[in-house]
Amino acid sequence: MSECKDIAEEASNYIEGNLPLSKRLGLFFHLVWCKCCRNYLQQIRSTISTISVIRPRENDNTDTDDLAKKLRALSQQDSSD
Amino acid sequence: MKKNSKLTSKDEKELISKLINGDQSAFEFIVNEYHNLMLSVSRAIVGEAFADEVVQDAWISAIKALPKFEGRSKLKTWLLHIVSNGAKSRVRRENRSVSLDQGWESVSADKFDNTGHRFDDVLTWDETTPEDLLANDQLQAVIETSFQQLPSLQRAALTMYDMEGIKMDEVCNILDISASNARVLLHRARTTLHQCIEKFQDAE
Repeated sequence: MSECKDIAEEASNYIEGNLPLSKRLGLFFHLVWCKCCRNYLQQIRSTISTISVIRPRENDNTDTDDLAKKLRALSQQDSSD
Repeated sequence: MKKNSKLTSKDEKELISKLINGDQSAFEFIVNEYHNLMLSVSRAIVGEAFADEVVQDAWISAIKALPKFEGRSKLKTWLLHIVSNGAKSRVRRENRSVSLDQGWESVSADKFDNTGHRFDDVLTWDETTPEDLLANDQLQAVIETSFQQLPSLQRAALTMYDMEGIKMDEVCNILDISASNARVLLHRARTTLHQCIEKFQDAE
């Protein structure tokens, strides 16, 4: 019988459908009667949607305009060689 | 030029042709669009110290090879493979293994009783849609900070899979890890960000 702890550990795999059928069914039946775990799974889904909208980025101090200029200059130099 | 990562193949052809013709706005576009993502992959493979250098080399290789780009993969994936190969070469001599942070817990063990069931209720969040969550500037800042504190492999897996929509097998190829490791990294990253949102909700 699956437990709340199993849901916490397998939430991503359950959402992605990456589990063997027996495991998936065990988690499914747990979710049927456990409201806490249904809410937890919903929160994980909300987290995934939020991340895909907010799109947090790496910390980076690169001067992207300067890099773009240098790469353009390099490409022009290569094409004239 | 579209300001997102989902360029159609027609958009990409147009972009590549502009790059080959030396269009400055096209160079600005690809750097703004892909540099941060390339840095994420580089940091995940080679670590912080050499990551910038590896990305710089990858850009140079990519620009030189651009006229030969045949469009068999997406430009984004092509760039990520170049940076990934460069980073892997850099660490080839080292015995790198993927750290999965032994002892990590998706949810703190003290939240469960000895039968594995939760002590406390999990309530629905007040703000349930991403738009609701994003309307809260403070929460947005908390998520960004929490993301930046994740281990670099987790950040890269999360960025590629959840934000960029890159398929799991490509993520594994690029990071040179197994599918099971990639899934563990992804789940840990999601869970950490979930905990940060949960804490914020509890404090509200």
